[in-house]
Amino acid sequence: MDIKEVIRTINQMEVDGIISGYAIGGAVGAIFYLQPTATADVDVFISFDIEPGSLIIDPQPIFDYLKQRGCMMQDDSVMIGGWPVQFLPPAGPLVEEALACAVTMDVQGMKTRVFTAEHLAAIALQTGRAKDKIRLVQFVEAGVLDATRFQSILTRHGLQAAWQKFERQFLSDSP
Amino acid sequence: MTFDLERILKSKEALRNKLTNLPIEEKLRMLDALGERTLILQQAKVQIPAGATGVREDSVPYSEDSQPK
Repeated sequence: MDIKEVIRTINQMEVDGIISGYAIGGAVGAIFYLQPTATADVDVFISFDIEPGSLIIDPQPIFDYLKQRGCMMQDDSVMIGGWPVQFLPPAGPLVEEALACAVTMDVQGMKTRVFTAEHLAAIALQTGRAKDKIRLVQFVEAGVLDATRFQSILTRHGLQAAWQKFERQFLSDSP
Repeated sequence: MTFDLERILKSKEALRNKLTNLPIEEKLRMLDALGERTLILQQAKVQIPAGATGVREDSVPYSEDSQPK
């Protein structure tokens, strides 16, 4: 498996005009700030260009482009560099904001865009699965979150109550 | 080796910090290796018979609907 091949390919997709801006989220995005953890796939968030008058998002140009380059489809993913890659539209205002605010990172001279630590943490809080809660604890323990920025994201997206509950459950000695 | 829990926890924390602070190139190499292991484990997964009871958490999409209540 070669995650750098994934980055190289999505960068090329951007250059070729197949996608207009992307950001890596999920577990792979979190690795830019945290210790490496196993994950089954790579989440790439992109803005889909919607045809005028259409409400349907069409990922076909992406699949056609990648198929032409020998990539295989597997369920909802495309195999790139041995990794199942999911191209995801931002499904809500928080992920839309995360995509807009993504930061550029350097991987051995190769640029890539990744969600900020604060957005990854807020998305983990919102998604709320067990593995997301673990990731959120890791973000807190690693001390990589800018508290002001994180709190403002929570406020904008109505996540303060969820955060207070999370704090009580996981960050307090007395639940 | 020690059975001193405090020392064990400190040692674990130090390891986590060391892994967190590795250069991104190295972390991505580790991710590739972990991904290969995950793939092997997925392929070797035991099929759970239909009707079997067990605790399982389904994936949810990244959406507003997934917000905790």
